[in-house]
Amino acid sequence: MVPMRSDARRPRACAVRRVLLLGLGVVAGHASAQTIFACEPEWAALTRVLLPAARLHVATHAQQDPHHIEARPALIAQLRAADAAICTGASLEAGWLPTLQQRAGNARVQEGAPGLFFAASAVTLIDPKPGAGGNPFAGDVHEEGNPHLHTDPRRLLDVARAWSTRLQQLFPQQQAAIAQRSAAFQAQWQARISAWEQRAAPLRGSTVVAQHGSFAYLWAWLGMQQVADLEPKPGLAPTPGHLQRLLEQLRAKPPAAIVISGYQDPRSARWLAQQFGGRVPVLALAATVDDPEAPDALGRWFDQLLDALGRR
Amino acid sequence: MNTAQRLPNGACRGLFCAAVLLASASVAAQTQPSAAGEKWQFGAVLDAATTSRALELGGRDKGLQLGHSDLTASGPLGRHLRAQMTAVLATHDGSVEREIEEAWVETRTLPLGLSARAGRFASQLGYLNQQHPHADDFVERPLLYRAFLGGHWNDDGLRINVTLPTGLYWMVGAEVFRGHRLVAESDPPVSGAGAFTLVTKLGGDINRANSWQLGLSYLKSRRIAALEDEHSDAEGEAHDHDHDHHHHHGAQFGGKHTWLVDATWKWAPGGNNREQQLRVTVEAARVTGINRFASASKRHEALGLAAVWRFNPNWEAGARVDRLRVAMPHEDHFHSGRLNEQALMLAWKPSHMQALRVQFSQQNGAAGFENPARRSVALQYVLAFGAHGAHAF
Repeated sequence: MVPMRSDARRPRACAVRRVLLLGLGVVAGHASAQTIFACEPEWAALTRVLLPAARLHVATHAQQDPHHIEARPALIAQLRAADAAICTGASLEAGWLPTLQQRAGNARVQEGAPGLFFAASAVTLIDPKPGAGGNPFAGDVHEEGNPHLHTDPRRLLDVARAWSTRLQQLFPQQQAAIAQRSAAFQAQWQARISAWEQRAAPLRGSTVVAQHGSFAYLWAWLGMQQVADLEPKPGLAPTPGHLQRLLEQLRAKPPAAIVISGYQDPRSARWLAQQFGGRVPVLALAATVDDPEAPDALGRWFDQLLDALGRR
Repeated sequence: MNTAQRLPNGACRGLFCAAVLLASASVAAQTQPSAAGEKWQFGAVLDAATTSRALELGGRDKGLQLGHSDLTASGPLGRHLRAQMTAVLATHDGSVEREIEEAWVETRTLPLGLSARAGRFASQLGYLNQQHPHADDFVERPLLYRAFLGGHWNDDGLRINVTLPTGLYWMVGAEVFRGHRLVAESDPPVSGAGAFTLVTKLGGDINRANSWQLGLSYLKSRRIAALEDEHSDAEGEAHDHDHDHHHHHGAQFGGKHTWLVDATWKWAPGGNNREQQLRVTVEAARVTGINRFASASKRHEALGLAAVWRFNPNWEAGARVDRLRVAMPHEDHFHSGRLNEQALMLAWKPSHMQALRVQFSQQNGAAGFENPARRSVALQYVLAFGAHGAHAF
């Protein structure tokens, strides 16, 4: 069967679907396209590259803290409908994905099923802390390592390769097409990495203060250094005492910038920046792609990150 | 493989037969390799509170007490099953009580959105019953749960749920329980399955900021409490019974039919619930068929409204109003009982592993209850170690 693009049929299908749902939930057919559940927008964007016709459900967006998502009914329904799911792993979704899996009752996306793919399984994570979890006073420690791996475009390439292989196994009728798109993405992305690295060369060696390890992989890639964290412990909100200590520590050598994620409250970062007399800018970087359905969402997101860092 | 065959016939009785079979199947399943990286997880929760005055129908005594503190182990039994075991410690009437609150096996790979659970577990009745009490937003459960479900009703039984393949979340589930932890002593005695539930939940997102869930539950109980149980002083009576139902007490007020509706609405600016969130829940219940003397008009009713506002990642404030109307059986007639309760709470949550909560409660409009607390102040501290289950909506 030739898979069809579902977009053209969507408005009418959607209206019909609503009616059917209201009238006692008859199963709405979507025979042609696969349904993919993505825990984070970056994986939805990557899936869009490999499977342009797929129906995508994106559990989170750039304005949310992906650690603290609620297992909302809407997400359960989305996971119930999924043929496959892609998530970060490394316990990033530990607070909500297990509940979604349990309530969805969808065998295709349970642990160990081929339809469940974790990006973290395709790369080496930085900063693993084996045996450090479980202490209630140590903050949100991810024993497996820092899960925010999507901010390294080289690791993204590894994830793309592994996810493409998995999709080809799951949807053998489309194997050739997926492989072809994957190869094109690899070539194109490799070239862009080189271009970005060239462009970001002046950033090498500069120091930043950040809130959380959200961009740790970006710093490592660009040769930048995060000298302090606004969080007193991983995952805990900044406290006045901790900010005061940071100020003492950094006064002699202020960082080039204070970086927060778009979903974080900017007040702590702003307070610290003020103490440096306005010489240190506060950069609110997008933690992930804004619209995973936009063309070249991932590439444009990295462009934006480098723009913001270069402008400071 | 055939572990079940080696069990003596007597061990396989009533509705436990299926539980035993499922458990033995899980032992067999364990020989299969589990998913890479999926491990058993262990956790512990300490819940301690000091209360200036015990609330009528409350689960916490005056003074410093251990609340619902537990040790939990959960994990895979092969690819097809998952299990969880929870042991609870709590102080009640001056002594520390222990019990196994959960010991269940659940399927993960049934087709058509189906899942089945067997063993001891909390019924999915209502909005709150399934949640561990130490995860609650208030020091005590709503009056509805304290009066009709013994606070937190868990029992031995079987559950079958189906999540329908609809755009909105829609779940339909059925449970069958022994029911002896709902009504310890039934008159007339009932053997086998004593309680049945039917639950449906519907929910979705309105937009990024707003989400909702509606629930409708029905509980059919074959176990009707013996009369002296129903009418005697709640606290004094617990000593006389065996320790089978200690800190649960079972339901104080019950009947043949219980209907429960719940509605929840949550709002978080931009969907970023970590920073700010408003949660509002309304629950109402009606119990009929109180006992063989009760006419159709005799019933128990409870209503509760709770709102909690997270105004900063570390702080939450909440208010709750509860209303209870019961028909208290007294030989062949009934006395009407009334109780209202209001609570205000403020919680500091420096991380999701810790919570420090202060709560002011008052009970008024009481009739038929001997010790309503005009004012009560409670200070509660909850500390979690290790893995703790992900929370539901």
